[in-house]
Amino acid sequence: MTVGLPHVLTLAALLFGIGLYGALSRKNAVHVMMSLELMANAVNLNLVGFSRFVTPEAMTGQFFAVFSMVVSAAEIGLGLALVIAIYRRKRSVELDAVQELKG
Amino acid sequence: MDWVTLIPLLPALAFVVLAPLSRAARAKLVPLAVAAVLGSLGLSIAAFLAVWPGGHGEVWQASVTIAHIGDRAITLGLALEPMSAIMLTVVTVVGACVQVYSLGYMHREDRIGWYYAVLSLFTAAMLALVLSDNFLGLFMAWEVMGLCSYLLIGFWHEQEAPRLASIKAFLTTKVGDLGFMLALAVVYAEAGAFDFATVLHHDWTAGTATLVALLMLFAAMGKSAQFPLHVWLPDAMAGPTPASALIHAATMVAAGVFLVVRAFPIFEASGIALTITLWVGLITALLAGLLAMVQHDIKKVLAYSTISQLGFMFIALGAGSSTAALYHLVTHAYFKSLLFLGAGVIIHAAHTQDMRQMGGLAKKLPVTSLAFASGSLALAGIVPFSGFWSKDEILAVLLHEHQYVAFAIALLAAFVTAFYVARLWFRVFTAPTQQEDLHEGHRSMLVPMVVLAVITAVIGFFGPTLGDFLGHEIPWPALGTAAISTVAALGGITLGWYVYGRRTSVVNTQALKQRFPHAYGVLANKYYFDLTYGYFVVGGYTTLARALATFDARVVDGVVNGVAAAWRSLSAAGWTFDGRIVDGAVNGAASAVRAAGDKVRTLQTGSVRSYQTLIAGAVVLLVVWILVKGA
Amino acid sequence: MSTTLPAVAFYLLAFAALYGAISMMSTRNVVHATVWLLEVMLATAGLYLVLDAEFLALVQVLVYAGAVAVLTLFTVMLTLRRREDAVRPFPTAWGSLAIAALFTGAMLLAIRGFCPVGVEMPAIAPGIEEFGRELFTTWMVPFEVASLVLLVALVGAVWWTGGDDR
Repeated sequence: MTVGLPHVLTLAALLFGIGLYGALSRKNAVHVMMSLELMANAVNLNLVGFSRFVTPEAMTGQFFAVFSMVVSAAEIGLGLALVIAIYRRKRSVELDAVQELKG
Repeated sequence: MDWVTLIPLLPALAFVVLAPLSRAARAKLVPLAVAAVLGSLGLSIAAFLAVWPGGHGEVWQASVTIAHIGDRAITLGLALEPMSAIMLTVVTVVGACVQVYSLGYMHREDRIGWYYAVLSLFTAAMLALVLSDNFLGLFMAWEVMGLCSYLLIGFWHEQEAPRLASIKAFLTTKVGDLGFMLALAVVYAEAGAFDFATVLHHDWTAGTATLVALLMLFAAMGKSAQFPLHVWLPDAMAGPTPASALIHAATMVAAGVFLVVRAFPIFEASGIALTITLWVGLITALLAGLLAMVQHDIKKVLAYSTISQLGFMFIALGAGSSTAALYHLVTHAYFKSLLFLGAGVIIHAAHTQDMRQMGGLAKKLPVTSLAFASGSLALAGIVPFSGFWSKDEILAVLLHEHQYVAFAIALLAAFVTAFYVARLWFRVFTAPTQQEDLHEGHRSMLVPMVVLAVITAVIGFFGPTLGDFLGHEIPWPALGTAAISTVAALGGITLGWYVYGRRTSVVNTQALKQRFPHAYGVLANKYYFDLTYGYFVVGGYTTLARALATFDARVVDGVVNGVAAAWRSLSAAGWTFDGRIVDGAVNGAASAVRAAGDKVRTLQTGSVRSYQTLIAGAVVLLVVWILVKGA
Repeated sequence: MSTTLPAVAFYLLAFAALYGAISMMSTRNVVHATVWLLEVMLATAGLYLVLDAEFLALVQVLVYAGAVAVLTLFTVMLTLRRREDAVRPFPTAWGSLAIAALFTGAMLLAIRGFCPVGVEMPAIAPGIEEFGRELFTTWMVPFEVASLVLLVALVGAVWWTGGDDR
């Protein structure tokens, strides 16, 4: 029983798919944010996998993962701040409550 | 000598500072504009002294290259030589007088700051025009002046008349400017440059010279309000009176004459162009003089008088003496601006521009009446006031050139001039007082007038000096022509006095009544001025003048209106085309876009979830496409 | 034997992560979903360990498990007025499911196509010391920029959620 790159990538793809489904189907803004985090997580897993199997010396993927984490941490911080701001105005965190862009 | 650049630059800077400010801030900075023009005045006098004693051409020149066309450089430059030095002093003296005067005249205006800004820009443009060492720079300054003229005529744009007058003035002068542009094109094609030195020393063939000269003459006729392009100047009197004094009497309208003076070698090379110039001047001088006799609006009298005097300058040019034209330009600038400033005080005092409602102002406005007398005598051509000398010089040139017909017409025009001056003077100053509440103008208005009056009174004695300065001879008047012109002037004044002056005393009025009993009722009804025309000497005159006015209204205006009507019907046809086809196409395209928009609009649900779905769907499709492509 | 343990650990952790993710999607309670997310994050941290990325595993625990999950919980609590609001209806989103499935399928196909099964894990795996040295030499500038990004995000979050008085 060995672990190869395809296994890691497959796992990441599955996690990403689940996250994508959640991001698309959920109406609760917090839930959507969590799904986005799941997707980001899958991406990081991919990066680490590539790093381990393709460039184990340079660890490039790992560094990318570090910065990716930084960005997604910033994203969830701002995203949740936005959810709070929307909640203040709309008294709701339902995405359907935000319709200002309607053409 | 590079400080000469500052002469036009100072007023230009005043404009740059004033123009972008708010109305209130501009009004506070008005002294800045006055200071700028006074600075220019000082520098101009210094420049004049630097050129003194003259006759030796250019003393300073500077230029910058503004563009390259192919391997040819287009330069703009300034040059100081005797002619521009004289013009500098004229423009800055009159400009400074007008700006100081306006402090009193315009002080109640909200937009006095804007008025001063435009006045400064105008002064800068006029100074650049006289200093310019090439036709291109001259043309640019010329156009800026046209813009300033438009802005100042339409200064009271809340009212209908100034607005229409400003448009009329702008369009009419633009017709002339078309000639200037074409002339520039021909000049460049022929001489390959714009600067005076190259262009004027170019070896002009008679045909090309005639073409250029006639095009430039056309431009000058528009700017200097010569027949038949004179129609805008009387209407331009709707602007503020001091602006009229500066722009529509002293300087800008003289720019046309100045252009011809500058391009004079081309006119001489043509020959026929000089003859045409002469006749344009003769027709204008006489017709405008006759029209001035039947006006009741004091500013319109002065406006027609200006046209007539500009005609005299064209006569001088046509007779081949640019020096005489320039001389008359200088003297006219002083005395006509003086008359306009005086008219401003009168209008302020009498609260009307109609001379029939004035009268007896001499006692109430002593300073103004004296200054106005100086200007009037100069305009009429009475020794020793300035107009006499320069007008006499023009007549002498005509005699010298054996232009006897032209001489007779010019003499008649001088006679007419003296007559309408007398009519103006007696009606305004010595006729019975019709208003009691009259007061003299403010000191800031009187001082400039006194300055100009003194200049008008004495400048004639410097004619020969001026001639030396320019390197041409201006002789002292010969006794013969001086006598003839004085007789003409005195005759006109006497006639004017006979018609308008005598009735101030009871006896004269009685005599009039006895001699013309059927006019008595009308005399009692205050309408006798017009009927005096009809019954007294000038019956024919009136008819002629009326006919001329009618001609003016029917034929000249008719042509203009005809062109306008033709244009209008053309535009109507164009409009129909526009409405049917162009609009149809545009509207069709618009409704197609709108229909498409209505469809696409539904995509903009405003729902974040549908957006994510769209984006994700698109990404998925992209991925699938890449896979299919890659496999 | 040396490769067996990581392989077993990998499959266990992978199962945990997938199970957590599916549970997160299938629960109707937002609070429960947050806890399932936390579980997925911890499983991922374990996977990083298996893949010899110790530093990342630590960061994963600190940032995601420690900060993000707690932040999310706070948000959920702040925006819930009633306890029963935590329970969301569970919509059947066939469209979303189709898109996600399509995407995942495409990805799996791609992985199969480009990356043959059975690539061995390279033996060499630098430790956390080399990682630190690299991070503060080669990746110095991006690291500083990342700190700036976090600062901006911090200020932005404070600004957006600031009081009503602004």
